[in-house]
Amino acid sequence: MRKPYQVWMPILLVAFAAVAASAQSFRVQCPTTTITHPSSLNNNNAEPTYSAPTSLVMGPNGYLIPDPNATNANVNGAIKCQQISGGDGYSTMGDGTQTYMFSFGPLSGLADIANGLPGTQFPSVFNVQGPKLFPGDPATTDNPTIPVTPTQLAGFTYNGAVGLALNVANLVSIYDIVEIGHTVYVQTNSPLGLSDGDPVVISGTGLAYDGNQNVLHANVLGNTFPAGVTNYGFAAVNNFTFTLSTATNLADVNTSQTAVAGIPAGYDGHVDPRPIMDVGVMNGNIPAPLMAIDEDDEFFLTLTNVGMIMRPDLFEQHTVHFHGYPNASSFYDGVPDASVAINIGASFTYYYLAPDAGTYFWHCHITPPEHLQMGMVGQLYVRPRQNRVAAGNSLFAALQQQEKDNRTKCDSTSDILCSNPLPRQLPTDAAPSDNGVTRASTGNYAYNDGDGSTYYDVEYPIQIHGFDPNFHFVGMTFNPEGFSDMKDKYFLLNGRSYPDTVTPGPLFTQTVDGSNHFSQPLSAIINMMQGQKALLRISDLDVSEYQTLASLGIPMKVVGYNAKLLRDQAGNNLYYSTNSITLAGGESLDVILDSTGVPKGTYYLYTPNLDHLSNDAENFGGLMTEVHVN
Amino acid sequence: MRAMNMKKVIVRTQLLLAAMVAMAMLLAVSAYAAAPGIKGTTFSLVAAPAYLTQPDGQAVYSWGYGCATTFTPTYAPSNLSRTGFCNTMQVPGPTLIVTEGTQVTVTLTNNLPNAAGNTSILFPGVTLNAFASGNGTPGLLTQEAAPGQTVTYTFTAPSPGTRAYYSGTQSDLQVEMGMYGALIVLPDPTKVPGACTSPAIRTNLYGVTDWATVNKVPGAPEQDYRLAASAYDHPDTCYDREYLFQFAEMDPRIHTQAEAQVLAIQAKGGCTAGAPGCSLEVPTEPYHPSYFLINGRSMPDDMDPNYATQYPHQPYNGDPHMHPGELTLIRVIGQGRWQHPFHEHGNHVRILGRDGNLILSSTTSQITYANGGSGTGLAGPLLFTTTTTPGLAFDGIFYWTAKGLNWDAYGHNPSSKDSNATPACTPDANGYNTGAAAQSAINYFEWCQDHNKPVQKAPFGDVAGGGPTTLPDPNLFTNGAWYGGSPYLGPDATTRATGCNTGAQANGSAQGAACGQTGSTPPSGTIANSPSTEAGFAFMWHSHNEREITTNNIFPGGMLMMMLVDSREYVIDETN
Repeated sequence: MRKPYQVWMPILLVAFAAVAASAQSFRVQCPTTTITHPSSLNNNNAEPTYSAPTSLVMGPNGYLIPDPNATNANVNGAIKCQQISGGDGYSTMGDGTQTYMFSFGPLSGLADIANGLPGTQFPSVFNVQGPKLFPGDPATTDNPTIPVTPTQLAGFTYNGAVGLALNVANLVSIYDIVEIGHTVYVQTNSPLGLSDGDPVVISGTGLAYDGNQNVLHANVLGNTFPAGVTNYGFAAVNNFTFTLSTATNLADVNTSQTAVAGIPAGYDGHVDPRPIMDVGVMNGNIPAPLMAIDEDDEFFLTLTNVGMIMRPDLFEQHTVHFHGYPNASSFYDGVPDASVAINIGASFTYYYLAPDAGTYFWHCHITPPEHLQMGMVGQLYVRPRQNRVAAGNSLFAALQQQEKDNRTKCDSTSDILCSNPLPRQLPTDAAPSDNGVTRASTGNYAYNDGDGSTYYDVEYPIQIHGFDPNFHFVGMTFNPEGFSDMKDKYFLLNGRSYPDTVTPGPLFTQTVDGSNHFSQPLSAIINMMQGQKALLRISDLDVSEYQTLASLGIPMKVVGYNAKLLRDQAGNNLYYSTNSITLAGGESLDVILDSTGVPKGTYYLYTPNLDHLSNDAENFGGLMTEVHVN
Repeated sequence: MRAMNMKKVIVRTQLLLAAMVAMAMLLAVSAYAAAPGIKGTTFSLVAAPAYLTQPDGQAVYSWGYGCATTFTPTYAPSNLSRTGFCNTMQVPGPTLIVTEGTQVTVTLTNNLPNAAGNTSILFPGVTLNAFASGNGTPGLLTQEAAPGQTVTYTFTAPSPGTRAYYSGTQSDLQVEMGMYGALIVLPDPTKVPGACTSPAIRTNLYGVTDWATVNKVPGAPEQDYRLAASAYDHPDTCYDREYLFQFAEMDPRIHTQAEAQVLAIQAKGGCTAGAPGCSLEVPTEPYHPSYFLINGRSMPDDMDPNYATQYPHQPYNGDPHMHPGELTLIRVIGQGRWQHPFHEHGNHVRILGRDGNLILSSTTSQITYANGGSGTGLAGPLLFTTTTTPGLAFDGIFYWTAKGLNWDAYGHNPSSKDSNATPACTPDANGYNTGAAAQSAINYFEWCQDHNKPVQKAPFGDVAGGGPTTLPDPNLFTNGAWYGGSPYLGPDATTRATGCNTGAQANGSAQGAACGQTGSTPPSGTIANSPSTEAGFAFMWHSHNEREITTNNIFPGGMLMMMLVDSREYVIDETN
């Protein structure tokens, strides 16, 4: 549907110009408190221990809220936020070729992304204004070499939301303020631009009105005032109400010389577009910024469309499709045909409660054969509740706790899509039972298995992809692209082909703005100590063919497929050991490599699609990386 | 210079395609899918040539199976009003619907051009009865029908499930030309689990007065379009709706060559089949398909009705709809020579079985299901991308609910004066609103834990506010052609969320004043999924080998369809 939009865009721009006053085009969203995660009950900047489901009670507004009674309060999960840019950039292939991409780049967690970590942050890290940033940061600041040394990366530590800026403080005179019962009616000389629930500061009335208040209703029509409130005929936007529980029927203050209402300066989503453009333009990454959240988290992902500098002819929108999310909402599913897609120069915030644990992935869903081939693909995984069980506590008991909440339970008898019922030790057992495994003091689990069978010490996201250099060249040069003749010639693990896959640290590429950009932040080396287990979160976003990844030396144990634990309805684990896995674009799979008894040394993950062990014309490289057992 | 001119041509082509999408959607008021076919024990088929139409305007010479003119088929499901035709050739071939354990007879007459030689049908997974002497001509894999001749296959219908049938003669060419179809085996009625036909299961169809009936919605109330109550002889294979998708590719160069050679051989005259110079010599490698088909059609044609008159040789569509919570059986067959990773947006699919083989747990002790039935646990995988390999069929169950969204998908607003904005939500044992009182409610199968919970901080319109997010100004985004017009499910919610329903909001804010100032999400670009009548949640179901969602290099097209989850206000009418 891309090209028709180009025709519509001028029309949209005209409309935009007409109402631009009300638009806040770039905006980042990362609330510090929500209905599900009230900051009064929960520290939203850390993951609390999981002991039991969140206790819910009916709140005053007609929906369930976490029980505000502190003794019952048991809020699970936290708030996570991330910002990404949608635009273009360049990456470097294994044969040294610079390849043009349509791509996403990080606009939060810059330091973490450069270190190969997720760019997903708690509000306390995300809602922090940054230092002065330069195009290509942090690559520019750190003057990288390849491989990038840890010392070089140590100098840049900023992980907040790029562009975040304080809202401008605003103050207006109060014409009249009066309280009827506990409701205060305020009529101001000029509008403050308030919405329901916004904070507002009242001062100078000399009465108990003064202080920090929260708007009950904004935009109140004067003719709806109750008896006792004089309607001075201001427009609705000048009037608002709030509730004052500490005082009743306070006196009317009219045309005071000192009474003012103000919005305090604070983070309300406003941004300074300059750093966003400085950092976001030409800053594409392959794979796109890594995302990782925990079950029960609320996740706010802001996509900021900075435009594609090399393709000024395209008024291209971008979206984020959270591939594999169960019971997805159509609105936040990222399919432009089924929802909305953000235009250039604006931001859209996707909102999800974290779904069931598993290895998902994400990509742009605009003209998928084009935008996926061109590089708009990224990794995403959800960590299980089981990780948050206190060390030494029973995993089986923790899974039984999850069964007590309809949202987190998995009941084979009533839900055909339930994947992790309580585990059964042997197929001949009469019923599921506890194998006595407790939460290990180190390491983590891939799923809520209840038996510790998906334990791992280290985890590595691995994304399989392929680039067709002809398509990328054509994509840069304003020519129509052929889809049916697409033929990948670079075969990528985390956006790199061998030998780049085993280069530690980020790879950078100098782009047309003359700056170095971290183009491929994620190495594909698997490092583990002898005896450890490594979880490989493998996803595939190749758009033209199936790819196989084989292990030379260490067996692959497959424990999950398509973000679901491999377990039957009776509770038997259906894990299997294999030497190779084959995935199509749009699939994911969880593999555990167990190095117990494996001699120290270097092992290989490579493709037995032997023609994929190449980097375009070079008959060497391709879909291969190393496993280091140390 | 040439490149730029070329670009213009392509842009025009794509605009034309977009216009065609729009036209198709305007013409097709409602067009759903079911799994239509012909049902019985005796089928008389022919193999014949015809042209398949593609959305780029091409008519592709093809071969396919159809009904003999002397044969009067029984169409199923019986309440499809357009049981119009079983032409002498269609792609895919007629879906043969039979019942487990019955004797089935399929007679095939070869009406292909003489140059095509013999043809046949393979029924993988089926044990054929022995051929009587003189029944057909011996071939490599099975008995064949020589040009103008007939062959008869007889077998006992095997275990329930979906299977493929296709040509077993010169398959590299004949299957590519379109000679494939589906065999659906329904469970023996005496073996359909009682739990699947009792009123206790979660369905819109049994023993309930549905929303549409209570609210006197024009047209029929919800109807049953299933071929059976269960997919297998197992209580966890009950379902509420079903759809059949057959995937295949076409390389038009093969078809063009076949047609040219057929014409040349006909023009030469005096040819007897199989004689030197009288047979087709069409290279089928290298293979460069540029059409990617679901049920013989490319998007957007696949979303037009079954038996649509504009596709006389492609009668089956791909246009799934469902209400929240409905168990939807999808029957899928890989009929081409490539694998296709088919991604179902919206939820996972439980694979029940492959090629009619139910996949069961090794634990033989029975599970007692919530619907009252009991059986060995299922063990098929849960997949969000269901790969079809050539010749392989699977049956899977999909459903969608708003569980876990953490906001009320219906945009309910307790302070609204619209009664449809303030229904009750009484959770059942699994947290859904499915009790007797809910059966005629707009929010049947709502996920109650999020009932009334807002998503927007300060919404325009009559939906609850105070949620965690702020949507961008509508001028900053572009609406999709299947966008329902608001983040919310159903026409009532969408009207409340976007309309200037003055006075509807009872919370004292100045509803009237807000109207017309900021506007709302304008659903002006919507050409399907009308915000005022349907406003479903649309999900793209498509091949994730993304280059296959194109039609001859034009995006969008190919193996792509939009699945819609519809609120109960909208009657899903599959009769056309």
